[in-house]
Amino acid sequence: MDTSNPAVFVNGGLMCIYVGRRIRTVIQVIQSDGGGVTGKSTDGHQLVVKGPQPGFPLTTFVEIIGIADTDRSIRAEIWNNFGNTFDTQSYNQLCQLANGEFKHLFI
Amino acid sequence: MYSGEFDGAAAFAGGGFMPSQATTVPDPSSSFSKNRNVRTLLPMTVKQLSELSSNDESSASIDGADVNTITVVGIVCDMQDKEPQFIFLIDDGTGRIECSRWAHEQMEFNEVNQISKGMYVRVYGHLKAFQDKRSLNAYSLRPIIDFNEITSHFVECIYVQLYNTRLRYSFDEGKSIDQMVLDFLRRPEFLANNNGVHRNVISQQLNLPMDKLMEALESLNENSLVYSIDEFHYKSAVNA
Repeated sequence: MDTSNPAVFVNGGLMCIYVGRRIRTVIQVIQSDGGGVTGKSTDGHQLVVKGPQPGFPLTTFVEIIGIADTDRSIRAEIWNNFGNTFDTQSYNQLCQLANGEFKHLFI
Repeated sequence: MYSGEFDGAAAFAGGGFMPSQATTVPDPSSSFSKNRNVRTLLPMTVKQLSELSSNDESSASIDGADVNTITVVGIVCDMQDKEPQFIFLIDDGTGRIECSRWAHEQMEFNEVNQISKGMYVRVYGHLKAFQDKRSLNAYSLRPIIDFNEITSHFVECIYVQLYNTRLRYSFDEGKSIDQMVLDFLRRPEFLANNNGVHRNVISQQLNLPMDKLMEALESLNENSLVYSIDEFHYKSAVNA
C-alpha cells in the first residue's frame, strides 16, 4: 500500500491551502479553448485548468486530478468525465468534511 | 474463503453479482474474524487501510469494529494479467492498493475484461497481508457508471467512522465519561499494545475535550483502573 501521493478533495475555496500540491476536484465546464478549460467549481468559483487536454470530448462535469498552480488554476494530470449530471452540492460538502474533522481519513 | 457460510445475497444486495463457489480459495486458518457470525462490510479509504491496528488480517479491527469485508472506490492505475490471477492497482486519491481477482469461470473473466486502465471501479474484497504488504483479495470489481457513487462512497467512509467512534457509544445514555474512556482503553487493540494510547487519540476518537478527558483519566488512575505509561500515554490496568 502506498499513501505517499494523495490527491486531496478540494473545491475552489480550499485550493489556496494546497497550492503546489496534488489535488482533485470536479468542475462544470464553461469554456474550452487553446488556453485551457475554464470551469465552475462546486462552490461557485471560476477555475482554469491547464495542461494537455485528453483525446476525448469533455462532458459537462469533469474531475481534474493535478497540481494546484495557484488558488484558481490547476495543472491537470488526469481528466475524468463525470457525465452531464452530477450532485455538486454533495461533492462540495464532502470537500469540506475531507478537509475538516475527517481529514485523517484522507491525508 | 468461506466454505459455504458466505451469504452472497446480503453482501451483494443490489449489486447483481453472485460469486461462484469455484473462486473460493480454501483458507486453512479459516478465521477472518474471531466471531464468524459477525460479518462486516466496511467502506474504507486506502489511508484507513494503511493504518489498521493489526498486522494479521484475521484479527484486524478499526474503531472497535472487526474488519472482514471492505469496499473501496478508485481508479485503476495499473493492471497485470497473470491468469488466473488478475492484479489491479487501485488509487482512491488517499493511496494505492493492490487488488487481486481470481477468475476461473466465464462470468469472472467477463467481469475482469470489463475493467480497463484509467477507469473508476468499485471493489469488494478481503484484506490480506503477506510479508508486511497489505493487499485486497477482491471478489467483485465493477466499473463505476454514476459518478455520484464516488462522493457517496467517501461520505459513507466518514459516516461509518463517525458511527463506530461516537454514535455507537452515545446510545448508552447515562454512561459516564469515565466509563466511556475505560471501555475505549479496554478495546482489544489497545489492551495488546504496551505503549498505551496517546491522550490526543482518545480525545479525538471519543470527541472529548481534553479537560474532560483528563478529569476522567485522573479519576480512573486514582482508582487504579488505568495507569499512565508516560506523560501522554495511558493503558487500562485491567484486562476486559
